[in-house]
Amino acid sequence: MSTFLLKIVACNRVFYDGECEILVFPAYDGEMAVMAHHEQMTATVEIGEIRFKLPDGTWQKAIVSDGLIKVENNKVDILVYSAERPEEIDEFRAEAALERAREQLQSKQSIMEYHISQASLSRAMARLKGAHGYSSGK
Amino acid sequence: MANAKEIQNRIRSIQDTMKITRAMYMMSSMKLRKAKQQLENTEPYFFGLQEQISSILYHFPYMEHIYFDNRSKDNHAAPKKKGFVVLTGDKGMAGAYNHNVIKEAQRLCDTSEKYELFVVGELGRQYFRGQGYPVDEDFRFTATNPSVHRARVITEILVELYKHKELDEIYVIYTKMANSISEEVEVQQLLPLKSHQFIKQEMLEKAKKKKGNYNGAQGLQNSKFDYGNAFDDTDRIGVYENDEDFFIYPSPKKVLKKLVYNYVTGFMYGALVEASASEENARMMAMQSATNNAEEMLKELSVEFNRVRQAAITQEITEVIGGAKALKKKKKQVR
Repeated sequence: MSTFLLKIVACNRVFYDGECEILVFPAYDGEMAVMAHHEQMTATVEIGEIRFKLPDGTWQKAIVSDGLIKVENNKVDILVYSAERPEEIDEFRAEAALERAREQLQSKQSIMEYHISQASLSRAMARLKGAHGYSSGK
Repeated sequence: MANAKEIQNRIRSIQDTMKITRAMYMMSSMKLRKAKQQLENTEPYFFGLQEQISSILYHFPYMEHIYFDNRSKDNHAAPKKKGFVVLTGDKGMAGAYNHNVIKEAQRLCDTSEKYELFVVGELGRQYFRGQGYPVDEDFRFTATNPSVHRARVITEILVELYKHKELDEIYVIYTKMANSISEEVEVQQLLPLKSHQFIKQEMLEKAKKKKGNYNGAQGLQNSKFDYGNAFDDTDRIGVYENDEDFFIYPSPKKVLKKLVYNYVTGFMYGALVEASASEENARMMAMQSATNNAEEMLKELSVEFNRVRQAAITQEITEVIGGAKALKKKKKQVR
């Protein structure tokens, strides 16, 4: 299977830089997949889980926060706030963040604060989902 | 001349102060290393975002967007309300670091008609409030240990104000390290973004790729010619951009919105990290020179202390000799 160059850049590090066969990412209205020689494209990436298959056939997972993806000349760049492997996620921390976000959403607040806590809520949920899959699926 | 005891007390207190400055020096140098590492880590992300904005603007040069300065209302000369985001430290003891930022911010305030200050860092906030400047009281953030989360919250606040037209322009005033010795105050316009700057950058890159088949200015005109009507499509789902089969999903407006948000956050984070690195650097240098000064003072004082002690001994000896002589004379007289 032909491959393409995938680069996942998070705010604090380069998460992955190398060959990849297929990439599935959460797009605006559902998941989207990218294979080699995809047309030129720019799209938004939502909070959720990215899966990509390496040339040796193994699947890699990453929990990402929102960002963008750019496909150009068989090269894919993903720019997200954060990207983590399921095993890197601290479940206790994510759980605490979930709790906090829920509480914040319940209390009366301005629209701006509502946006922030909603985003943190979905981030925490995505993290927990990814981490759960890792610990129970093994 | 002070007596030996006084000088000794002085020496001891200087030694204690020196211990503190030395410890602060070590702490700053450690924090500086951490901040520099953080700065390096964000660079690929930030440059990637910049590239993407450039390429979208290049393909849709006529797209009028609230975040860009090609809006028609920007051309009117009505007084604009400016927001200044000032990044200062939480503590002093960092040489001229805080003063330089504050001075620049004050200069900008004095030259603009309507403005509001958003101060990060306790020291700057206290100063501006004391001087009676309009400071946003709800905008409370510390400058130490910058995090992405803080940058995101700051961005949310600023963009919200901008969207509701409470601010027309937003500037960031922060300190940047020119090299490891000198640092300078930077003023950057955060919003609206300067679209021509991005387009120009993309032109240069394209020109480089095509090995100078055309120069930048010509290319800009071509692109305007070709894509003049592309901006009618900006809210359609999944837009194809005719010339190079450039697919944008779900729509250029949505992508650009996210892009700008992330860009502003990335920029804010970068500025926070850069400012904290500069602060630690400034503090490190200030503490270094304080330690040097203390060493010099100790040297002088120890010389003085020896001199005083010597003088005291000499005086005692003279007194003893004088006493002995007097006794001798008395004995002679008695005989």
